[in-house]
Amino acid sequence: MKEKLQTKGHITADSVSIVFDSVGKRNVAVDDASVDIQPGEFVCILGPSGCGKSTLLNAIAGFVQPTQGELTLDGRTIKSPGPDRGMVFQQHSLLPWKTVLQNVAFGPLMNNTGQREADSVARTFLNLVGLGAFESHYPRQLSGGMQQRVGIARALANYPNVLLMDEPFGALDAQTRAIMQENLLNIWEEFKTTVVFVTHDIDEAVFLSDRVVVMSASPGTIIADIKIDLPRPRDALIVTSPEFLDLKRQCLDIIREETTKAFALQNAS
Amino acid sequence: MWYRYWLHHINADRVAQVLSIPLFLLLWQWVSASGVVSSRLFPPPTEVISAFGRWYDSGQFWGDVQVSLTRVGIGFFFGSVIGILVGILTGRVRLAANLLSPIFGLLRPIPPIAFVPLVILWFGLSETGKYFLVFWGVFFVVWMSAHHGVRKVDPLYIRVAQCLGTPRSKMLTNILLPGAIPYIIVGLRTAVSISFYTLVAAEIAGTFSGIFYRIDVSQQNMQIGQAMAGLLVLGVISLIADRLFYYLSRRVDWSAS
Ligand SMILES: Nc1ncnc2c1ncn2[C@@H]1O[C@H](COP(=O)(O)OP(=O)(O)OP(=O)(O)O)[C@@H](O)[C@H]1O
Ligand SMILES: [Mg+2]
Repeated sequence: MKEKLQTKGHITADSVSIVFDSVGKRNVAVDDASVDIQPGEFVCILGPSGCGKSTLLNAIAGFVQPTQGELTLDGRTIKSPGPDRGMVFQQHSLLPWKTVLQNVAFGPLMNNTGQREADSVARTFLNLVGLGAFESHYPRQLSGGMQQRVGIARALANYPNVLLMDEPFGALDAQTRAIMQENLLNIWEEFKTTVVFVTHDIDEAVFLSDRVVVMSASPGTIIADIKIDLPRPRDALIVTSPEFLDLKRQCLDIIREETTKAFALQNAS
Repeated sequence: MWYRYWLHHINADRVAQVLSIPLFLLLWQWVSASGVVSSRLFPPPTEVISAFGRWYDSGQFWGDVQVSLTRVGIGFFFGSVIGILVGILTGRVRLAANLLSPIFGLLRPIPPIAFVPLVILWFGLSETGKYFLVFWGVFFVVWMSAHHGVRKVDPLYIRVAQCLGTPRSKMLTNILLPGAIPYIIVGLRTAVSISFYTLVAAEIAGTFSGIFYRIDVSQQNMQIGQAMAGLLVLGVISLIADRLFYYLSRRVDWSAS
């Protein structure tokens, strides 16, 4: 079952640059980024605040168009957002006028699924994230962690090929965050969708992913692409293993080395 | 002591609120009776109550209330429905906003009462003219709230919907309108009181019934008690309308917790 072969959800970025033109000033958010993300792969984009992680993710989602280069999903250029890419947002994004169930059923409903079928899909995913009992609550009645779980259920309810996650656990406390990470891995083991997960937390990136793509601060370039070959399924204890610490050190070394190089370059010019 | 318990639980705020209106009436009665002012021009509450009794007994009271409420109701209904529709249009379609906003900006500050002479020329003494005046007062407030409401819907919600595959045709009913509800409700509530202001303008001339008409007639006959009773009725009705609207709106306003 784990070896279920995933064929959809192949993302490529080919020399993608994204420039914002704000009043008389060119702001390069992403500079010449190239990556190839395989179907079913769990990839983390790691980088400091403001380096362009969200911008790159939003471009994959179809909200932002690359200024140069090309982004494709399963061989087709990404032009607009669509239900084949589920997104979990950085901020609270549940629709406040809908109940938890209505929020999760919204995607299927918008894609021509009948009300009863949509509700039943929604219940399945709410149970998956352990919130079945809260279906008639409103978002404001839930904690931040619960809201993010509903957000994950909502993104999954369309059975997307790709799950895009923008620092989904960034606002949570360390304990909740650790539980959420494990939950997410369990869910992913089951569905094996491609996951692109943005974070600025090295531990989180190494714990979750198959590959860590490291970005550096302005202009947002990809400075490293590190394979994480820790065994799966992973549990919370793995973070104390020598292999984990070794990979983490590797990441830190590369980031330090690349950052120093970038600083030297900036100073020279 | 037995009353200790009660003293302890008496809430000073509540006492003041309960006493507020009786104290006001007492003061009014005293001022009228003391002769400081002419009790003919400023009759005491007792006189106002008996004037109200005469109005009620004459059989005209319910007729006046019904006529006035119909004017307010119909004007409010059309003003708010058309206001919301046009507000959504100008809020989402740039061309519509560019064409209409300057016109509305020019017309909006004109007080409805200034239209009374023209309305009489246009509509004669018909009810249509009354509806029109109330409509005029309501429309702009509601239009403004809907216009700003649909513009201020959090763009994040629009992204969420796009990401979930919402077609453009379903965006209005599923995201824009519910997102704008809190703004529209504020506009509608303001419009409730405005519709009573404009009712006064509508009944100033060219009518033979209605609450303000009764006030106007009583004033001409120097029946000050009756005029004051009319004012109080107007106040009570618009207060009830406002409260009623408030309780109804809480059911649809998701931002009210
Ligand atoms: N819509 C926009 N218009 C103009 N500039 C933008 C826009 N969105 C992002 N930027 C700029 O692009 C750069 C990268 O922003 P981005 O949000 O992608 O960073 P981030 O890595 O996600 O940061 P954080 O970790 O704080 O979320 C920033 O300098 C930001 O000011
Ligand atoms: Mg971000």
